[in-house]
Amino acid sequence: MSVSIDVNGAPKLVEADPATPLLWVLRDYLGMTGTKFGCGIAQCGACTVHVEGRPVRSCQYPLSAAVGQKITTIEGLSPDSSHPLQKVWVEMNVPQCGYCQSGMLMAAAALLKQSPHPSDDEIDLYINNICRCGTYPRVRAAIHRAADMLAQASHT
Amino acid sequence: MSGAADFSRRVFVVSSLAVGGALLMGLREEVHGAEAQVRPWDKPNPDGALEFTPWLSIAPDDIVTVRVTTPDIGNGVMTQAAAFVMEELGCSWDKIRPEYASTNRDYLNDGVYSKVAGIIGYFSGRSTGPERMKTYMQVAASARERLKSAAAQQWGVQSAEVIAQGGVLSHAASGRHMRFGEALPHAARVRLDKEPQPKDRSEWTFLGKKTPSKVQIPEIVNGAAVYGMDIRLPNMVYAALRQSPVQGGKLKAFDATAVKAMPGVLAVVAVRPEDNKPSDLKTPFPLGNSRGAHGVAVIAEHYWQARTALDALQIQWDDGPGAQWKSTAQMYQALHQAVERTGGNPEKSVGNVETAFKNNSTVVEATYLTPYCEQAPMEPLNGTALVDKDRVEVWHPTQHSQMAFLVASDESGVPPQNVHFHQTYVGGGFGRRVFGDDVRMVVAVAKQFPGRPVHVIWSREEATRQGRYRAAMASKLKACLGPDGLPAGLKARAAGGPGFSVSGLADTALMGVIPNIEVDSEVVPFHILSGPYRGPGYNSNAFMVETFLDECAHAAGIDPLEYRIKLYGKWGDIGWVKCLQEVKKKSGWGEPLPKGQGRGVAVANWGMRGAVDAGTTVATVAKVEVSRDGKLKILQLDVAFDTGRVMNEDAVRVELEGGTIFGLNMTLNEELTIHDGQVVEGNFDTYPMLRMVNVPKTIGVHFGGLSDAPRYNEIGEPPAGSVGPAVGNAIFAATGKRLRTTPFRKQDLSWT
Repeated sequence: MSVSIDVNGAPKLVEADPATPLLWVLRDYLGMTGTKFGCGIAQCGACTVHVEGRPVRSCQYPLSAAVGQKITTIEGLSPDSSHPLQKVWVEMNVPQCGYCQSGMLMAAAALLKQSPHPSDDEIDLYINNICRCGTYPRVRAAIHRAADMLAQASHT
Repeated sequence: MSGAADFSRRVFVVSSLAVGGALLMGLREEVHGAEAQVRPWDKPNPDGALEFTPWLSIAPDDIVTVRVTTPDIGNGVMTQAAAFVMEELGCSWDKIRPEYASTNRDYLNDGVYSKVAGIIGYFSGRSTGPERMKTYMQVAASARERLKSAAAQQWGVQSAEVIAQGGVLSHAASGRHMRFGEALPHAARVRLDKEPQPKDRSEWTFLGKKTPSKVQIPEIVNGAAVYGMDIRLPNMVYAALRQSPVQGGKLKAFDATAVKAMPGVLAVVAVRPEDNKPSDLKTPFPLGNSRGAHGVAVIAEHYWQARTALDALQIQWDDGPGAQWKSTAQMYQALHQAVERTGGNPEKSVGNVETAFKNNSTVVEATYLTPYCEQAPMEPLNGTALVDKDRVEVWHPTQHSQMAFLVASDESGVPPQNVHFHQTYVGGGFGRRVFGDDVRMVVAVAKQFPGRPVHVIWSREEATRQGRYRAAMASKLKACLGPDGLPAGLKARAAGGPGFSVSGLADTALMGVIPNIEVDSEVVPFHILSGPYRGPGYNSNAFMVETFLDECAHAAGIDPLEYRIKLYGKWGDIGWVKCLQEVKKKSGWGEPLPKGQGRGVAVANWGMRGAVDAGTTVATVAKVEVSRDGKLKILQLDVAFDTGRVMNEDAVRVELEGGTIFGLNMTLNEELTIHDGQVVEGNFDTYPMLRMVNVPKTIGVHFGGLSDAPRYNEIGEPPAGSVGPAVGNAIFAATGKRLRTTPFRKQDLSWT
């Protein structure tokens, strides 16, 4: 059965079982490998994408639910790595192995949309992705800095 | 182990292999730094490039390719290789493109890469080791001199008058200049009379001064970096894997009839390692730890199809002898019995322990235990192989490329010259991807489906239950305290599952500051497989030794930090005391705390092997709060360290943050339990990881412990040792409860 889903603003035709998790649709059927497989049970958040702007763990989100929704992946966070989070991630040397960071970035981007100047407590509540390398202190600091950059950009 | 690259046999090759410009991948204008590539493995030199040595080539567009043997598992080894070159070459940082050095070329060219650092030449660590440093700086200095000489000849001036800077050669007196890329055709013909001497440390302008971010981060933040999991090849199929649930068990039978009819399923294959004929491959290190398990793989057009079919497959296993271990409690009892026995393997003997105990009546005695733990890198085990009759190609996230390359040859029976191994990015290692058992399984599956690339993926549960774990161990430590309160004698007995180690106990500074010592050990024959796990041996022993020392300080009635300063003041390496004094100053040690809060300290050294001015020392002070009902909160962590010297301050800071969090998780959360021989925990719901909310907002990393001893020692593993006992000792200070086993989360911390 063939269905069309909207990924990063483009329609994508997929022929897969509708029960297939969106994660594997993106990775295997569409070849978009930026969204990572970490646990498969929505624990770690490495597979976080946006569905209509909200963060969703795509390993537990079936293809059937994705039809008709606007999906954004790490590949679509910005066209040219210009999202303030992507910039500060480089500048502040945030990732270590980097594998969980697509999910971290997508979770952080969704947070900044909802709360442009998040407090530490909001970050704690909202970013519960797992990073085995222990990048948490830098992720937190980088979210604060990206929030400042976004605020400055909106004032100029 | 040999030293630097062999310069006497250097050949100059102007590549004729046209693969398009070096700029094709990985360059984006807004990122002003050196960049690794999306696909980091070796590629042919770009058209017109000059390969100065196998380590270094420069393209006409000034792009500098630096070849790196050591897989970057997030520790920055790629960036450090680029930094060494940057220091000597006089290029521009944003023109450097590190990539992984071909293992196939190494094999064919007489170990051209692996001769640097020998058996760990292709291992994922120690980026600042003296051999690597010497090699990169020498080849870069040599290339610079060759470029300068080429320009000088063109201009009819002295080479010494030419300056190489920012990728440009210039002659101040005549105002002439040319880019590196323009000088290549002439540089190819230059032979130096003698090799230049790399700069003295006092002349460095980049190393120790600049703190570049890791070169692969631009590829990570847009999802482009290709990890093992991200390999996509034409015609590729996927395999889902299940291995014997009891390690060492055998595959009895399975019925694939129904499964083969499921959507997308192409094949169901069995892996039985003993079916392999022993290979006569000659290798520089043993491959025994890569031995495979019995398993079944379902191969399908897509991963989810393979996974779904595998879940439907009924498999019967012969559990083998491992099933005798019915429970974790039974295994812990065996460890406790073993530390009560005498005899076994003598590990260390100094002075006369019996006399010491006769003369000193204050005795401190305790038994400690640490469990099996899984490295749990975020990228589950996986790999891709295309096996043909006389050729194998592998794309794999290993921590030891040469090991993986040779294992692929060994498993396939295809000679190494026809094996092409591509090192991908690695989604975490922590020791799990060193042995090559993963690549062996990938090839074992793929060779049964020849002609198409097979991407084999372990589920998280499969990866967790089929580990090469940190071995469970117990120790009984017994000290008699002298009149000054310090240990006058120490008896230590350690026992653990196969693969456990007394590193961090029998080879640490403690052995040099206590006059009478006896250490012995015993292996308890559990069936659970073990392997390196961030700071092997050390990560358990540091917990035991440093908790025990706290108990000694308490018995002596001396402040635990002062106690350690007094004790390690006797050790010849000043780094220990410097680190302790630094955390004392920075943590607010001694300042009064409310009830329910406490501070604890620990100090340990990874890698010293009994020697002074060796390894990396880390001291940690933890400040914790324990509620009356036993909820633990880590309020503050301060870390001081001594690597000797530091090459990239931020890279060191990153590892101290990450390693501290890793050690914290190990201590608070991690324990694999066994039921009927099987590992019970499978995923993060039962094997929990710390998250943002659980760690302090900042981890204080302090540089005042550095001794300036002439070494740039490693920093990834050391912080995993001291944080756990520091937290445990802080909990004691807060509650009076002494924690002698991990993980802490399973223990009652409540107090009244």
